Amino acid sequence: MANGTWKIARGKGSAQLPLAIVAILALGLVLAGKAQSSLFDHARAYFSDWTSPLLETVRIPVKAVSNWTGGIGNYFDVYQENLRLKEDNARLRQWQNAALVLEQRVKRYQLLLNAVPDPSFGAVTAHVIGRANRPFLNTMILDAGKAQGVKPGEAVVDARGMIGRVFLAGDHTSWVILLTDLNSRIPVAIEPGNIQAIMSGDNTSAPALETLGQGVQLKEGDQIVTSGDGGLLPSGLQIGTVGADGFIFRAILLSDAGTSDDVRILNLKSPPEQPPAPSPNDLPVSAAGLAPLAPPVAALPAATVATAAQTPPPVKLLHPLTQAPPQATAPVDPDDR
Amino acid sequence: MHDRIGFSIGSAFAAVIPLACGIVGALISNMPISIFGGNLQPPLLALMPVYFWCLIRPDLMPPWVALALGILEDMLSGGSPGVWTAAFVASYALVDRQRESFAGLAGFGAIIGFAAAMFAASATAYLVEVFLAWRFLPISALIVQFAVTIVFYIPGAALLNLIHRRLVGPLRSDF
Repeated sequence: MANGTWKIARGKGSAQLPLAIVAILALGLVLAGKAQSSLFDHARAYFSDWTSPLLETVRIPVKAVSNWTGGIGNYFDVYQENLRLKEDNARLRQWQNAALVLEQRVKRYQLLLNAVPDPSFGAVTAHVIGRANRPFLNTMILDAGKAQGVKPGEAVVDARGMIGRVFLAGDHTSWVILLTDLNSRIPVAIEPGNIQAIMSGDNTSAPALETLGQGVQLKEGDQIVTSGDGGLLPSGLQIGTVGADGFIFRAILLSDAGTSDDVRILNLKSPPEQPPAPSPNDLPVSAAGLAPLAPPVAALPAATVATAAQTPPPVKLLHPLTQAPPQATAPVDPDDR
Repeated sequence: MHDRIGFSIGSAFAAVIPLACGIVGALISNMPISIFGGNLQPPLLALMPVYFWCLIRPDLMPPWVALALGILEDMLSGGSPGVWTAAFVASYALVDRQRESFAGLAGFGAIIGFAAAMFAASATAYLVEVFLAWRFLPISALIVQFAVTIVFYIPGAALLNLIHRRLVGPLRSDF
Protein backbone atom coordinates (compact mmCIF):
# COMPACT_ATOMS: atom_id res chain seq x y z
CA MET A 1 0.00 0.00 0.00
CA ALA A 2 1.14 3.49 0.60
CA ASN A 3 3.34 2.78 3.55
CA GLY A 4 6.52 3.00 1.64
CA THR A 5 5.61 6.11 -0.22
CA TRP A 6 5.26 8.51 2.69
CA LYS A 7 7.92 9.96 4.90
CA ILE A 8 7.66 9.28 8.57
CA ALA A 9 7.30 12.33 10.71
CA ARG A 10 6.87 13.09 14.35
CA GLY A 11 4.98 16.08 15.60
CA LYS A 12 7.23 18.98 16.42
CA GLY A 13 6.47 20.61 19.69
CA SER A 14 2.93 19.30 19.82
CA ALA A 15 1.68 18.56 23.30
CA GLN A 16 0.92 14.88 22.83
CA LEU A 17 -0.45 12.93 25.69
CA PRO A 18 2.19 10.30 26.39
CA LEU A 19 1.32 6.81 25.37
CA ALA A 20 1.82 5.53 28.91
CA ILE A 21 -0.82 7.87 30.27
CA VAL A 22 -3.22 6.86 27.51
CA ALA A 23 -2.60 3.20 28.33
CA ILE A 24 -3.33 3.86 32.00
CA LEU A 25 -6.53 5.64 31.04
CA ALA A 26 -7.57 2.67 28.89
CA LEU A 27 -6.94 0.23 31.75
CA GLY A 28 -8.83 2.52 34.08
CA LEU A 29 -11.77 2.44 31.71
CA VAL A 30 -11.69 -1.37 31.68
CA LEU A 31 -11.78 -1.45 35.49
CA ALA A 32 -14.48 1.21 35.63
CA GLY A 33 -16.50 -0.81 33.12
CA LYS A 34 -16.04 -3.91 35.26
CA ALA A 35 -17.37 -2.04 38.29
CA GLN A 36 -20.21 -0.41 36.39
CA SER A 37 -21.12 -2.14 33.16
CA SER A 38 -23.81 0.43 32.39
CA LEU A 39 -21.21 3.14 31.91
CA PHE A 40 -22.16 3.88 28.29
CA ASP A 41 -25.81 2.89 28.46
CA HIS A 42 -27.20 6.39 28.19
CA ALA A 43 -25.02 7.15 25.19
CA ARG A 44 -26.02 3.90 23.49
CA ALA A 45 -29.71 4.50 24.12
CA TYR A 46 -29.39 8.04 22.80
CA PHE A 47 -27.52 6.81 19.73
CA SER A 48 -30.09 4.14 18.91
CA ASP A 49 -32.94 6.62 19.45
CA TRP A 50 -31.16 9.09 17.19
CA THR A 51 -30.51 6.59 14.41
CA SER A 52 -33.83 4.75 14.64
CA PRO A 53 -35.45 6.71 11.74
CA LEU A 54 -32.51 5.77 9.52
CA LEU A 55 -32.67 2.16 10.64
CA GLU A 56 -36.42 2.08 9.97
CA THR A 57 -35.76 3.43 6.48
CA VAL A 58 -33.06 0.96 5.55
CA ARG A 59 -34.73 -2.00 7.24
CA ILE A 60 -36.72 -3.13 4.21
CA PRO A 61 -33.94 -2.97 1.58
CA VAL A 62 -31.44 -4.50 3.97
CA LYS A 63 -33.87 -7.30 4.70
CA ALA A 64 -34.30 -7.90 0.98
CA VAL A 65 -30.55 -8.05 0.43
CA SER A 66 -30.10 -10.29 3.45
CA ASN A 67 -32.81 -12.65 2.23
CA TRP A 68 -31.24 -12.73 -1.20
CA THR A 69 -27.74 -13.44 0.03
CA GLY A 70 -28.93 -15.92 2.60
CA GLY A 71 -31.24 -17.66 0.17
CA ILE A 72 -28.75 -18.42 -2.57
CA GLY A 73 -27.88 -21.76 -1.06
CA ASN A 74 -31.54 -22.69 -0.74
CA TYR A 75 -32.04 -22.85 -4.50
CA PHE A 76 -30.01 -26.01 -4.69
CA ASP A 77 -32.07 -28.05 -2.25
CA VAL A 78 -35.51 -26.53 -2.64
CA TYR A 79 -37.08 -29.83 -3.73
CA GLN A 80 -35.78 -31.79 -0.74
CA GLU A 81 -36.72 -28.92 1.52
CA ASN A 82 -40.26 -28.92 0.15
CA LEU A 83 -40.69 -32.63 0.84
CA ARG A 84 -39.35 -32.23 4.35
CA LEU A 85 -41.67 -29.32 5.06
CA LYS A 86 -44.70 -31.25 3.87
CA GLU A 87 -43.81 -34.10 6.16
CA ASP A 88 -43.27 -31.71 9.06
CA ASN A 89 -46.57 -30.00 8.32
CA ALA A 90 -48.53 -33.25 8.44
CA ARG A 91 -46.86 -34.25 11.70
CA LEU A 92 -47.48 -30.82 13.26
CA ARG A 93 -51.16 -30.97 12.38
CA GLN A 94 -51.44 -34.15 14.40
CA TRP A 95 -49.68 -32.47 17.30
CA GLN A 96 -51.95 -29.46 16.96
CA ASN A 97 -55.03 -31.63 17.39
CA ALA A 98 -53.50 -33.34 20.40
CA ALA A 99 -52.56 -29.96 21.91
CA LEU A 100 -56.08 -28.58 21.48
CA VAL A 101 -57.61 -31.62 23.18
CA LEU A 102 -55.13 -31.39 26.06
CA GLU A 103 -55.67 -27.66 26.41
CA GLN A 104 -59.38 -28.17 26.85
CA ARG A 105 -58.79 -30.94 29.35
CA VAL A 106 -56.39 -28.78 31.40
CA LYS A 107 -58.89 -25.93 31.40
CA ARG A 108 -61.57 -28.27 32.71
CA TYR A 109 -59.31 -29.59 35.46
CA GLN A 110 -58.32 -26.09 36.49
CA LEU A 111 -61.95 -25.16 36.68
CA LEU A 112 -62.81 -28.19 38.82
CA LEU A 113 -59.84 -27.64 41.14
CA ASN A 114 -60.34 -23.90 41.35
CA ALA A 115 -56.67 -23.70 40.48
CA VAL A 116 -54.62 -20.54 40.54
CA PRO A 117 -54.44 -19.47 36.91
CA ASP A 118 -51.21 -18.78 35.11
CA PRO A 119 -50.23 -15.13 35.18
CA SER A 120 -50.89 -13.18 32.05
CA PHE A 121 -48.46 -10.77 30.47
CA GLY A 122 -48.81 -7.36 29.07
CA ALA A 123 -47.08 -7.37 25.72
CA VAL A 124 -45.71 -4.84 23.29
CA THR A 125 -45.22 -5.86 19.69
CA ALA A 126 -42.12 -4.35 18.09
CA HIS A 127 -40.17 -4.46 14.85
CA VAL A 128 -36.56 -5.52 14.75
CA ILE A 129 -34.77 -2.51 13.25
CA GLY A 130 -31.21 -3.60 13.82
CA ARG A 131 -28.98 -6.53 14.58
CA ALA A 132 -25.50 -6.32 15.98
CA ASN A 133 -23.36 -9.39 15.67
CA ARG A 134 -20.00 -8.70 17.27
CA PRO A 135 -17.29 -11.09 18.45
CA PHE A 136 -18.40 -10.65 22.06
CA LEU A 137 -21.95 -9.45 21.64
CA ASN A 138 -25.17 -10.66 20.02
CA THR A 139 -27.94 -8.10 20.22
CA MET A 140 -30.88 -6.78 18.31
CA ILE A 141 -32.52 -3.37 18.44
CA LEU A 142 -36.29 -2.94 18.59
CA ASP A 143 -38.39 0.09 17.74
CA ALA A 144 -40.12 0.20 21.12
CA GLY A 145 -38.76 1.83 24.23
CA LYS A 146 -39.75 3.55 27.44
CA ALA A 147 -42.46 5.48 25.63
CA GLN A 148 -44.17 2.15 24.93
CA GLY A 149 -43.66 0.91 28.49
CA VAL A 150 -40.64 -1.29 27.78
CA LYS A 151 -38.31 -1.83 30.72
CA PRO A 152 -34.95 -3.61 31.05
CA GLY A 153 -35.21 -7.26 32.01
CA GLU A 154 -38.37 -8.04 30.08
CA ALA A 155 -38.50 -11.18 27.96
CA VAL A 156 -38.62 -10.97 24.17
CA VAL A 157 -40.28 -13.74 22.19
CA ASP A 158 -41.12 -14.41 18.59
CA ALA A 159 -43.77 -16.74 17.24
CA ARG A 160 -41.63 -19.79 18.02
CA GLY A 161 -40.12 -19.09 21.39
CA MET A 162 -37.97 -16.87 23.53
CA ILE A 163 -35.25 -14.84 21.83
CA GLY A 164 -33.71 -12.90 24.69
CA ARG A 165 -34.41 -10.11 27.09
CA VAL A 166 -34.23 -6.34 27.07
CA PHE A 167 -31.06 -4.98 28.68
CA LEU A 168 -31.27 -1.36 27.67
CA ALA A 169 -34.32 0.77 26.95
CA GLY A 170 -34.14 4.15 25.26
CA ASP A 171 -37.07 6.44 24.68
CA HIS A 172 -38.14 4.80 21.43
CA THR A 173 -35.73 1.89 21.03
CA SER A 174 -34.53 -0.98 23.15
CA TRP A 175 -31.57 -3.32 22.99
CA VAL A 176 -32.10 -7.04 23.41
CA ILE A 177 -29.43 -9.40 24.66
CA LEU A 178 -29.93 -12.66 22.80
CA LEU A 179 -29.96 -16.06 24.45
CA THR A 180 -26.82 -16.90 22.50
CA ASP A 181 -24.86 -13.94 23.87
CA LEU A 182 -21.89 -14.47 26.16
CA ASN A 183 -23.52 -12.49 28.93
CA SER A 184 -26.85 -14.33 28.84
CA ARG A 185 -27.55 -16.69 31.73
CA ILE A 186 -31.12 -17.59 32.53
CA PRO A 187 -32.72 -20.24 34.75
CA VAL A 188 -34.62 -22.88 32.84
CA ALA A 189 -36.61 -26.02 33.55
CA ILE A 190 -36.33 -29.16 31.47
CA GLU A 191 -39.43 -31.23 30.92
CA PRO A 192 -40.34 -33.92 31.71
CA GLY A 193 -39.04 -34.06 35.23
CA ASN A 194 -38.89 -30.32 35.93
CA ILE A 195 -35.10 -30.47 36.00
CA GLN A 196 -33.66 -27.10 36.97
CA ALA A 197 -30.73 -25.79 34.95
CA ILE A 198 -28.92 -22.66 33.89
CA MET A 199 -28.69 -21.87 30.20
CA SER A 200 -25.56 -19.91 29.33
CA GLY A 201 -24.85 -18.29 25.99
CA ASP A 202 -21.37 -18.65 24.54
CA ASN A 203 -21.76 -16.96 21.16
CA THR A 204 -22.63 -20.24 19.48
CA SER A 205 -26.06 -20.91 18.06
CA ALA A 206 -26.81 -23.43 20.84
CA PRO A 207 -26.37 -22.17 24.44
CA ALA A 208 -24.90 -24.57 27.00
CA LEU A 209 -26.98 -26.19 29.74
CA GLU A 210 -25.71 -26.64 33.29
CA THR A 211 -27.95 -28.73 35.50
CA LEU A 212 -28.21 -27.70 39.11
CA GLY A 213 -28.89 -31.13 40.59
CA GLN A 214 -26.30 -33.88 40.93
CA GLY A 215 -26.74 -37.10 38.99
CA VAL A 216 -29.37 -35.60 36.76
CA GLN A 217 -29.66 -37.27 33.39
CA LEU A 218 -30.80 -35.21 30.43
CA LYS A 219 -32.09 -36.72 27.23
CA GLU A 220 -31.94 -35.32 23.77
CA GLY A 221 -35.27 -33.93 22.69
CA ASP A 222 -36.46 -32.91 26.16
CA GLN A 223 -38.29 -29.60 26.23
CA ILE A 224 -36.66 -26.49 27.69
CA VAL A 225 -38.80 -23.72 29.15
CA THR A 226 -38.08 -20.79 31.42
CA SER A 227 -38.35 -21.73 35.07
CA GLY A 228 -39.30 -18.27 36.30
CA ASP A 229 -36.86 -18.49 39.21
CA GLY A 230 -35.84 -15.11 40.48
CA GLY A 231 -38.99 -13.48 39.22
CA LEU A 232 -37.24 -11.78 36.31
CA LEU A 233 -38.77 -13.89 33.58
CA PRO A 234 -42.15 -15.56 33.36
CA SER A 235 -42.17 -19.31 33.75
CA GLY A 236 -43.12 -21.67 30.97
CA LEU A 237 -41.85 -19.71 27.99
CA GLN A 238 -40.79 -22.10 25.24
CA ILE A 239 -37.06 -22.01 24.54
CA GLY A 240 -36.09 -25.18 22.71
CA THR A 241 -35.03 -28.77 23.08
CA VAL A 242 -32.04 -30.51 24.60
CA GLY A 243 -29.26 -31.56 22.25
CA ALA A 244 -26.01 -33.34 23.04
CA ASP A 245 -22.63 -31.97 22.02
CA GLY A 246 -19.99 -34.40 23.18
CA PHE A 247 -20.09 -34.48 26.96
CA ILE A 248 -22.15 -31.34 27.39
CA PHE A 249 -25.77 -30.63 26.66
CA ARG A 250 -26.93 -27.65 24.68
CA ALA A 251 -30.22 -25.94 23.95
CA ILE A 252 -31.43 -26.19 20.37
CA LEU A 253 -33.38 -22.95 20.20
CA LEU A 254 -36.82 -22.80 18.63
CA SER A 255 -36.56 -19.13 17.80
CA ASP A 256 -34.37 -17.73 15.08
CA ALA A 257 -33.11 -14.31 16.03
CA GLY A 258 -31.53 -13.88 12.63
CA THR A 259 -34.81 -13.96 10.74
CA SER A 260 -37.37 -12.65 13.21
CA ASP A 261 -38.90 -9.36 12.11
CA ASP A 262 -41.69 -8.89 14.61
CA VAL A 263 -41.32 -9.80 18.26
CA ARG A 264 -43.26 -9.36 21.46
CA ILE A 265 -41.87 -7.87 24.65
CA LEU A 266 -43.56 -9.46 27.64
CA ASN A 267 -44.20 -7.51 30.80
CA LEU A 268 -44.28 -9.87 33.75
CA LYS A 269 -45.21 -7.08 36.14
CA SER A 270 -48.78 -7.10 34.87
CA PRO A 271 -51.27 -8.36 37.43
CA PRO A 272 -52.03 -12.07 37.25
CA GLU A 273 -54.95 -13.06 35.12
CA GLN A 274 -58.15 -13.36 37.04
CA PRO A 275 -59.81 -16.75 36.87
CA PRO A 276 -62.57 -16.69 34.30
CA ALA A 277 -66.07 -16.85 35.64
CA PRO A 278 -67.25 -20.32 34.69
CA SER A 279 -70.38 -20.51 32.67
CA PRO A 280 -72.83 -23.36 33.24
CA ASN A 281 -71.75 -24.87 29.94
CA ASP A 282 -68.18 -25.23 31.21
CA LEU A 283 -69.12 -27.73 33.92
CA PRO A 284 -69.16 -31.41 33.12
CA VAL A 285 -72.48 -31.84 34.84
CA SER A 286 -74.01 -29.50 32.29
CA ALA A 287 -72.51 -31.52 29.53
CA ALA A 288 -74.28 -34.50 31.03
CA GLY A 289 -77.60 -32.69 30.78
CA LEU A 290 -77.99 -31.92 34.50
CA ALA A 291 -78.52 -28.48 35.99
CA PRO A 292 -75.55 -27.14 38.02
CA LEU A 293 -76.17 -26.95 41.79
CA ALA A 294 -73.88 -24.04 42.66
CA PRO A 295 -73.92 -20.62 41.06
CA PRO A 296 -70.76 -19.47 39.28
CA VAL A 297 -68.08 -18.26 41.66
CA ALA A 298 -66.96 -14.66 41.38
CA ALA A 299 -63.33 -14.09 40.56
CA LEU A 300 -61.09 -13.91 43.59
CA PRO A 301 -58.81 -10.92 44.00
CA ALA A 302 -55.23 -11.65 43.10
CA ALA A 303 -54.00 -11.24 46.67
CA THR A 304 -56.42 -13.84 48.01
CA VAL A 305 -55.79 -16.45 45.36
CA ALA A 306 -52.65 -17.77 47.00
CA THR A 307 -54.41 -17.92 50.38
CA ALA A 308 -57.29 -19.78 48.87
CA ALA A 309 -54.94 -22.31 47.41
CA GLN A 310 -53.48 -23.07 50.86
CA THR A 311 -56.75 -23.40 52.77
CA PRO A 312 -59.47 -25.91 52.00
CA PRO A 313 -62.00 -24.26 49.76
CA PRO A 314 -65.57 -23.95 50.93
CA VAL A 315 -67.75 -26.84 50.02
CA LYS A 316 -70.05 -24.69 47.97
CA LEU A 317 -67.20 -23.85 45.64
CA LEU A 318 -66.76 -27.45 44.64
CA HIS A 319 -68.78 -29.25 42.17
CA PRO A 320 -70.83 -32.13 43.59
CA LEU A 321 -68.99 -34.55 41.36
CA THR A 322 -65.79 -33.86 43.30
CA GLN A 323 -67.41 -34.83 46.61
CA ALA A 324 -68.82 -38.05 45.40
CA PRO A 325 -67.18 -40.40 42.97
CA PRO A 326 -68.76 -40.48 39.58
CA GLN A 327 -71.58 -42.92 39.36
CA ALA A 328 -72.47 -45.08 36.49
CA THR A 329 -74.71 -42.34 35.20
CA ALA A 330 -71.85 -39.88 34.96
CA PRO A 331 -70.44 -39.49 31.49
CA VAL A 332 -67.10 -41.00 30.83
CA ASP A 333 -64.66 -38.69 29.17
CA PRO A 334 -62.99 -40.65 26.42
CA ASP A 335 -59.86 -38.56 26.90
CA ASP A 336 -59.52 -39.75 30.49
CA ARG A 337 -59.24 -43.37 29.68
CA MET B 1 -2.71 37.92 7.15
CA HIS B 2 -5.38 36.20 5.13
CA ASP B 3 -2.86 33.64 4.05
CA ARG B 4 -1.91 32.92 7.65
CA ILE B 5 -5.53 32.54 8.71
CA GLY B 6 -6.28 30.37 5.72
CA PHE B 7 -3.23 28.30 6.42
CA SER B 8 -4.22 27.82 10.09
CA ILE B 9 -7.73 26.78 9.20
CA GLY B 10 -6.41 24.43 6.57
CA SER B 11 -3.94 22.89 8.98
CA ALA B 12 -6.58 22.47 11.64
CA PHE B 13 -8.92 20.88 9.13
CA ALA B 14 -6.19 18.53 7.99
CA ALA B 15 -5.44 17.58 11.58
CA VAL B 16 -9.07 16.66 12.14
CA ILE B 17 -9.35 14.46 9.06
CA PRO B 18 -7.78 11.32 10.59
CA LEU B 19 -10.04 11.59 13.62
CA ALA B 20 -13.03 12.19 11.37
CA CYS B 21 -12.15 9.13 9.28
CA GLY B 22 -11.99 7.05 12.45
CA ILE B 23 -15.35 8.36 13.64
CA VAL B 24 -16.96 7.62 10.28
CA GLY B 25 -15.42 4.13 10.33
CA ALA B 26 -16.75 3.46 13.83
CA LEU B 27 -20.21 4.68 12.85
CA ILE B 28 -20.33 2.56 9.71
CA SER B 29 -19.03 -0.65 11.24
CA ASN B 30 -21.35 -0.31 14.22
CA MET B 31 -24.52 0.31 12.29
CA PRO B 32 -26.78 -2.48 13.55
CA ILE B 33 -27.37 -3.87 10.09
CA SER B 34 -26.68 -7.48 9.27
CA ILE B 35 -26.51 -8.16 5.54
CA PHE B 36 -25.12 -11.68 5.71
CA GLY B 37 -27.58 -13.00 8.28
CA GLY B 38 -25.15 -12.54 11.13
CA ASN B 39 -22.67 -15.00 9.69
CA LEU B 40 -19.99 -12.39 9.09
CA GLN B 41 -18.65 -10.02 11.70
CA PRO B 42 -18.37 -6.38 10.63
CA PRO B 43 -14.84 -5.09 9.97
CA LEU B 44 -13.09 -2.93 12.52
CA LEU B 45 -12.99 0.09 10.25
CA ALA B 46 -11.98 2.57 12.94
CA LEU B 47 -8.64 0.81 13.39
CA MET B 48 -7.60 1.49 9.80
CA PRO B 49 -7.07 5.26 10.18
CA VAL B 50 -5.28 4.64 13.47
CA TYR B 51 -2.80 2.31 11.77
CA PHE B 52 -2.51 4.35 8.59
CA TRP B 53 -1.78 7.74 10.09
CA CYS B 54 0.12 6.42 13.08
CA LEU B 55 2.50 4.99 10.52
CA ILE B 56 2.90 7.79 8.03
CA ARG B 57 1.93 10.93 9.96
CA PRO B 58 1.99 10.29 13.69
CA ASP B 59 1.62 13.99 14.31
CA LEU B 60 -1.90 13.65 12.92
CA MET B 61 -2.64 10.54 14.97
CA PRO B 62 -1.54 11.18 18.54
CA PRO B 63 -2.28 8.55 21.21
CA TRP B 64 -5.29 10.39 22.55
CA VAL B 65 -7.01 10.08 19.16
CA ALA B 66 -6.57 6.31 19.29
CA LEU B 67 -7.96 6.41 22.83
CA ALA B 68 -10.95 8.50 21.74
CA LEU B 69 -11.70 6.22 18.79
CA GLY B 70 -11.50 3.18 21.06
CA ILE B 71 -13.95 4.76 23.48
CA LEU B 72 -16.28 5.56 20.59
CA GLU B 73 -16.02 1.98 19.34
CA ASP B 74 -16.87 0.73 22.84
CA MET B 75 -19.77 3.11 23.11
CA LEU B 76 -21.31 2.18 19.79
CA SER B 77 -20.64 -1.54 19.78
CA GLY B 78 -22.66 -2.21 22.92
CA GLY B 79 -20.05 -4.42 24.54
CA SER B 80 -18.21 -4.15 27.80
CA PRO B 81 -16.70 -0.69 28.35
CA GLY B 82 -12.98 -0.44 27.77
CA VAL B 83 -12.47 -3.55 25.64
CA TRP B 84 -11.85 -1.82 22.31
CA THR B 85 -10.26 1.18 24.00
CA ALA B 86 -7.54 -1.05 25.37
CA ALA B 87 -7.33 -2.87 22.04
CA PHE B 88 -6.84 0.33 20.05
CA VAL B 89 -4.22 1.65 22.45
CA ALA B 90 -2.34 -1.66 22.39
CA SER B 91 -2.39 -1.70 18.61
CA TYR B 92 -1.23 1.93 18.52
CA ALA B 93 1.59 1.14 20.93
CA LEU B 94 2.78 -1.72 18.73
CA VAL B 95 2.82 0.42 15.59
CA ASP B 96 4.38 3.32 17.44
CA ARG B 97 7.20 1.15 18.78
CA GLN B 98 7.83 -0.68 15.52
CA ARG B 99 7.22 2.18 13.15
CA GLU B 100 10.52 1.80 11.34
CA SER B 101 9.76 -1.86 10.61
CA PHE B 102 6.18 -1.24 9.52
CA ALA B 103 7.04 1.77 7.38
CA GLY B 104 9.39 -0.29 5.27
CA LEU B 105 6.59 -2.57 4.19
CA ALA B 106 4.89 -2.05 0.87
CA GLY B 107 2.36 -3.90 -1.23
CA PHE B 108 1.47 -7.26 0.29
CA GLY B 109 3.82 -6.54 3.17
CA ALA B 110 1.73 -3.54 4.15
CA ILE B 111 -1.27 -5.82 4.54
CA ILE B 112 0.83 -8.10 6.73
CA GLY B 113 1.75 -5.06 8.78
CA PHE B 114 -1.88 -4.15 9.28
CA ALA B 115 -2.62 -7.78 10.12
CA ALA B 116 -0.04 -7.56 12.90
CA ALA B 117 -1.70 -4.43 14.26
CA MET B 118 -5.12 -6.06 13.98
CA PHE B 119 -3.79 -9.14 15.75
CA ALA B 120 -2.58 -6.97 18.62
CA ALA B 121 -6.01 -5.36 18.86
CA SER B 122 -7.89 -8.67 18.68
CA ALA B 123 -5.62 -10.38 21.20
CA THR B 124 -5.98 -7.48 23.62
CA ALA B 125 -9.75 -7.44 23.23
CA TYR B 126 -9.91 -11.18 23.82
CA LEU B 127 -7.75 -11.02 26.94
CA VAL B 128 -9.77 -8.14 28.38
CA GLU B 129 -13.03 -10.01 27.71
CA VAL B 130 -11.62 -13.14 29.34
CA PHE B 131 -10.62 -11.04 32.32
CA LEU B 132 -14.08 -9.50 32.54
CA ALA B 133 -15.96 -12.78 32.05
CA TRP B 134 -13.39 -14.79 34.04
CA ARG B 135 -13.66 -17.78 31.70
CA PHE B 136 -12.28 -18.80 28.35
CA LEU B 137 -14.40 -17.58 25.49
CA PRO B 138 -14.91 -18.93 21.98
CA ILE B 139 -12.56 -17.34 19.54
CA SER B 140 -14.14 -18.19 16.20
CA ALA B 141 -16.12 -14.93 15.86
CA LEU B 142 -12.98 -12.94 16.59
CA ILE B 143 -11.07 -14.82 13.89
CA VAL B 144 -13.84 -14.06 11.41
CA GLN B 145 -13.69 -10.38 12.29
CA PHE B 146 -9.92 -10.46 11.98
CA ALA B 147 -10.14 -11.91 8.47
CA VAL B 148 -12.94 -9.59 7.34
CA THR B 149 -11.10 -6.51 8.59
CA ILE B 150 -7.91 -7.45 6.74
CA VAL B 151 -9.85 -8.03 3.53
CA PHE B 152 -11.52 -4.64 3.94
CA TYR B 153 -8.16 -2.99 4.57
CA ILE B 154 -7.17 -3.46 0.94
CA PRO B 155 -9.74 -0.99 -0.44
CA GLY B 156 -9.68 0.91 2.87
CA ALA B 157 -5.99 1.70 2.58
CA ALA B 158 -6.45 2.87 -1.00
CA LEU B 159 -9.22 5.20 0.16
CA LEU B 160 -7.16 6.52 3.06
CA ASN B 161 -4.25 7.03 0.72
CA LEU B 162 -6.46 9.04 -1.59
CA ILE B 163 -7.78 11.14 1.27
CA HIS B 164 -4.26 11.77 2.47
CA ARG B 165 -3.00 12.83 -0.94
CA ARG B 166 -5.97 14.99 -1.86
CA LEU B 167 -6.93 16.54 1.46
CA VAL B 168 -4.31 16.17 4.14
CA GLY B 169 -1.25 16.74 1.97
CA PRO B 170 -2.28 20.05 0.33
CA LEU B 171 -3.66 21.43 3.58
CA ARG B 172 -0.55 20.55 5.54
CA SER B 173 2.04 22.23 3.39
CA ASP B 174 4.38 22.49 6.35
CA PHE B 175 5.34 18.87 5.72
